[in-house]
Amino acid sequence: MKSFDYFEPHSLEEAVGLQQQGQGRGCWLAGGTDLLVQMKEHVRQPGLVINLKKIRGLDDFHFDSVTGLRLGALVTAREVETSPLAHQHYAGLARACTDFASIQVRNRATVVGNICRASPSADTLPPLLADDASLCIHGPRGTRTVALEGFCTAPGRTILAPDEIVTHVLVPAPAPGTAKVYLKHGRREQMELATVGVAVSLTMSRGRCSRLGIVLGAVAPTPLRVPTAEALLLDEEPTRDRVHAAAAAAAQACQPISDVRASAGYRRQMVEVLTRRALVQALEVLR
Amino acid sequence: MTAFSIIGKSVKRNDLIDKVTGSAKYVADMQFPGLLYGKTLRSNVAHARILRIDASRALALPGVKAVLTHSDVPRVLHAGSPHPRSASLSCDQYILDDKVRFWGESVAVVAATSEEIAEEALGLIQVEYELLPAVFTVEEALRPGAPLVHDLGPGGNQVLDPVTCQRGDVEKGFQEADLILEGDYEGGRPVPAYMEPNVCTCQWDPTGGLTVWISTQTSFMVRGIMAEVLGLPLNKVRVLVDHMGGGFGAKQDLFQTEFLCALLARKTGRPVRMEFTREETFLGGRTRHPARIWLKQGFKKDGTITARQARIVYTSGAYGSHGPGVTNVGTTALASLYRCENIHVVGSCVYTNTPIAGAFRGFGVVQAYYALDIQMDEAAVALGMDPAELKLRNAVREGDVAPSGHPLIGHGLEDCIRRGKEEVGWEALRSRERDEHGPVRRGWGLGCEMHGSSAYPGIKEQGNAIVKMNEDGTVVLFTGTAGLGTGTHTVQAQIVAEEIGVTFESVSVVHGDTDAVPWDIGAFASHTTYMGGRVAQMAAAEVKAQLVARAALQQAVDPSQIEVRDGVVSVKGTDRSVSVREVMMPKRGIPAPQFVGSATYHPTKSYSFAAHFVEVAVDIETGAVKVLQVVPVHEVGKVIHPVAAAGQIEGGIQQGIGHTLYEDFQIDLKTGRSLNPNFVDYKMPLFMDMPTIRTVLLETAPDPGGPWGAKGIGEDPIVAIGPAIANAIYDAIGVRFHHYPIKPEQVLAALQEREGGAQ
Amino acid sequence: MNQVINLTLNGEPRTLMVACHRTLLDTLRLEGGLTGTKKGCDVGECGSCTIIMNGKLVNACLVLAVEANGAEIITIEGIQRSALELHPLQENFIKYGAAQCGFCTPGFIVAAKALLDENPRPTIDEIRFAMAGNICRCTGYTKIVQAVDETAREMQENGREAL
Ligand SMILES: Cc1cc2nc3c(=O)[nH]c(=O)nc-3n(C[C@H](O)[C@H](O)[C@H](O)COP(=O)(O)OP(=O)(O)OC[C@H]3O[C@@H](n4cnc5c(N)ncnc54)[C@H](O)[C@@H]3O)c2cc1C
Ligand code: FES
Ligand code: FES
Repeated sequence: MKSFDYFEPHSLEEAVGLQQQGQGRGCWLAGGTDLLVQMKEHVRQPGLVINLKKIRGLDDFHFDSVTGLRLGALVTAREVETSPLAHQHYAGLARACTDFASIQVRNRATVVGNICRASPSADTLPPLLADDASLCIHGPRGTRTVALEGFCTAPGRTILAPDEIVTHVLVPAPAPGTAKVYLKHGRREQMELATVGVAVSLTMSRGRCSRLGIVLGAVAPTPLRVPTAEALLLDEEPTRDRVHAAAAAAAQACQPISDVRASAGYRRQMVEVLTRRALVQALEVLR
Repeated sequence: MTAFSIIGKSVKRNDLIDKVTGSAKYVADMQFPGLLYGKTLRSNVAHARILRIDASRALALPGVKAVLTHSDVPRVLHAGSPHPRSASLSCDQYILDDKVRFWGESVAVVAATSEEIAEEALGLIQVEYELLPAVFTVEEALRPGAPLVHDLGPGGNQVLDPVTCQRGDVEKGFQEADLILEGDYEGGRPVPAYMEPNVCTCQWDPTGGLTVWISTQTSFMVRGIMAEVLGLPLNKVRVLVDHMGGGFGAKQDLFQTEFLCALLARKTGRPVRMEFTREETFLGGRTRHPARIWLKQGFKKDGTITARQARIVYTSGAYGSHGPGVTNVGTTALASLYRCENIHVVGSCVYTNTPIAGAFRGFGVVQAYYALDIQMDEAAVALGMDPAELKLRNAVREGDVAPSGHPLIGHGLEDCIRRGKEEVGWEALRSRERDEHGPVRRGWGLGCEMHGSSAYPGIKEQGNAIVKMNEDGTVVLFTGTAGLGTGTHTVQAQIVAEEIGVTFESVSVVHGDTDAVPWDIGAFASHTTYMGGRVAQMAAAEVKAQLVARAALQQAVDPSQIEVRDGVVSVKGTDRSVSVREVMMPKRGIPAPQFVGSATYHPTKSYSFAAHFVEVAVDIETGAVKVLQVVPVHEVGKVIHPVAAAGQIEGGIQQGIGHTLYEDFQIDLKTGRSLNPNFVDYKMPLFMDMPTIRTVLLETAPDPGGPWGAKGIGEDPIVAIGPAIANAIYDAIGVRFHHYPIKPEQVLAALQEREGGAQ
Repeated sequence: MNQVINLTLNGEPRTLMVACHRTLLDTLRLEGGLTGTKKGCDVGECGSCTIIMNGKLVNACLVLAVEANGAEIITIEGIQRSALELHPLQENFIKYGAAQCGFCTPGFIVAAKALLDENPRPTIDEIRFAMAGNICRCTGYTKIVQAVDETAREMQENGREAL
């Protein structure tokens, strides 16, 4: 790693001030599981590294059955994985945080860091998007809340300005009759980056599908929500044929690439299989 | 000898206490005052002439102490794997050349006061290349008029003249056949991926002597070639190897780093350490030889093989390394395993502008037997036979000519197959009802292999040992065998203790210092127990003879009356006994003796056998294959340390599952760039991917060349597991694969193709 | 930029001068003199550098040394109960042959200790899951499961105080 200056601000204001003094040459450090690797591989060479871990209030992990889930920027994947609440209400996110790297990494990696890294294969993004999550962002001009949808703009890119910090991710409370599934496809059982990830968040009321989020990971520059697939099931009875048609529509909609992990064609086929399996699993949970 | 006291017991390994406490010092753990850190600049082109290197900016960086390029180092042509007694070497490497022949080849090295500075300095070196046309595949390399990787050797891009293995008359054999099968098979490019990256530290002393601390399987070879290339006598090069973090064959080579490290140390007058990054272990390390095999066999209706014809082409990458050895061993292997009178096999090895293939557990045989064993499975299906029956019928046995030219001893392969069938209940499995519900299909497969202990006849091997007995009856063994993690020093101590008749705890082992221990060829070719163990036993026997003579004198009996066991010397047929210690102690003014035994052993070769029975599950919607269980049955002559032996098998199976299903070091066929030189995308099976393994060890075909009949075991498991998995996949889904690694998307594509064909 | 950090290393308070861009792994090995923690990949993929930091299992290669200011660190050198007495995990890694070349072993033993601290009687699958971030290229993992499982059984029989 190239040398850099290092700071541990105690407040958001101090953090933003440091970044401004550094003229945007700084990087926020949360768990560091992406940042350190990128610095070692010379993908990024920041002049200063600003560690967020001493900032108060960023470690809250709060669930309320009305307002939903509020995760601070310092909450780690391991905390979500080991939270019974998360498993109960946000099973997709909890699964994503379990089928994620190793315990060593999950003890450091934050959910918000995973979001801000904006990797096409980031595991927490599909379930969060399927749940209509939003982000609280703190910057020099105060705090704003934005939808997670649209936050990632390209691989590694987001709408954040360099002096903005994501302080929290907010996820609405699940309606009764909701099931959530995240399925990750990789060669190994653990320690895998997704070749395809599929998140489904499905609410049934009176035998029909009243709300549905289907989001695909690792098959487009940013995680891809597929309204064309969702539309085939919304307000309908989820029959076998409709589930299959939705899965096929998801496969139609994705824009995978070929790389060392898998070919585009195979990824597309896996989108279909995994979407179908995820929908079937969600429906089984509700049965 | 009757029952054993120590052999066959899993005694506490003498190297493990250091390892479990973290106090074991590997080369990168050793601190030296004034240590400099060496780093290598590697080429980012696959084939080019170096026009100019400008290192001035790097040299100007504070903390940089030296930079070396090809114009600063001796220009000595040498072999990457200079086995001193090898019949075939490819002398095709320079320390640094004015040409690069693969993406990732060393171009320059830097020594600096910290790793960070050395790394920064690499970025400041400018290299101007004149690009040359390159060849990345066998097809490209063998095309008439193809660009040449070297202007040496037999011509074209051949590493050596093709190797032919012939007997009988294949044409006649095929005429007699009722069934002829013919197929193309292909092996990919797995890497050994030992956990400790290559590392060495060099330091010169004021008398002009060089000390090298290095992670190597072949310390005496390192000493020999470094002395030769640097122009030093052998007594001025001392090579030290204590603990090393795995090698699996690949750490038999020199990686150019060793010379460069020594030269940097000489130039700076300070100790220099060069440690590979993980990426460098891929780029500058060694891979298995990718291989293409065309195999044709004829069969009678009853399963008898009438003819076998094959061509095998190994890809060597940019340098010859172990290409000649691998080609010889792999080609001749095809003449065995399953009996056949009419054989014609031709093997060759080809240079390409890709990373260097070297020695890796299974040494050319993995590729050959993958093809052969799968084709046997195909023949069984075509003949309507049980594959286990077909393999049993044709299994090589007592008296058959082995690849080495020797008659085989015993019926090891048949024993393994029979025992495995019983263990898994093969008959019942064959006739079981298939569960066709859901997306998962299960299947069982059998894979067989045999593998030689020692590199004979390719290398005329030699093992040496010195054993001395101290005046209190304790014993020290001096061995040159490297301890690459297998527990070989424990095994050798067990052998010495058993042979003399003392306890295991009273034997200690000195190893890893070329100035102190007798010459050794290195730890490879599954020979450390067979050869190193046997020669330790021979040296121990000499000490024992001296001990017995002294005891006989003391007891005033004939030496034949003396028995030594567990540290106690007794006179047969009496109740007279004394401890070994007492025998050795000075008595009545007679000083204690110094008993020293030394031995040299020139082994030929023995063969171990294995049959692996494997169950897999295939997801027919995703193509994912999971190995559920493995029952490996190995015939090893004599088991010295059961836990260590099983550990070799289980570890070999992990690597074999890896290369059959997951591991694939990929090269971009347009540029020669390595696409996945890291653990993110080079996928080895991890804890969760491993099946349950139930190992069975047999001792039914002991070889007189090994200690109490013991043979090798290190390489065998990685050979048998591959075809077993491929055959199990066929059993599960009825699709035949002829290559490895078998990737999920290929499984899925094959299933879909078959379905398309059926419709 | 350099910084002074204070930390507890295997129960001993230490003060180290570290460069901000050094990882905790390099610092432990170079400045801390604790070379039991190994570097197999430097990017979080192999687990050779596994340590316990403030009670949590982490890869030392993915932590900046400066982040360890005020932290409590346990490395393989701190697992032993006393100079003469091995931890039961260490005993069983020897007995069951769970180490061969030994390069991965410190990482595995530290990971196993963290697992047993959290879950004294894990199932076989829990053991496998907990160690998915550690690569061993020698043993094929079978004997590592045995060693950890056996340790858990023994420690339960002998009472947790034995820890
Ligand atoms: C071995 C290994 C395995 C992995 N496996 C997986 C996997 O299976 N699935 C997966 O999705 N990922 C995986 N990752 C990637 C990584 O662990 C995750 O992306 C992680 O969640 C990032 O979080 P962090 O806290 O470590 O982020 P950091 O590395 O600290 O930061 C990541 C990026 O986000 C920025 N950032 C962090 N926090 C904020 C904030 N609050 N506001 C604004 N910007 C911020 C940083 O500046 C940086 O650019 C793996 C990584 C490793 C090393
Ligand atoms: S060295 Fe840290 S995980 Fe490999
Ligand atoms: S013992 Fe060698 S890597 Fe595990």
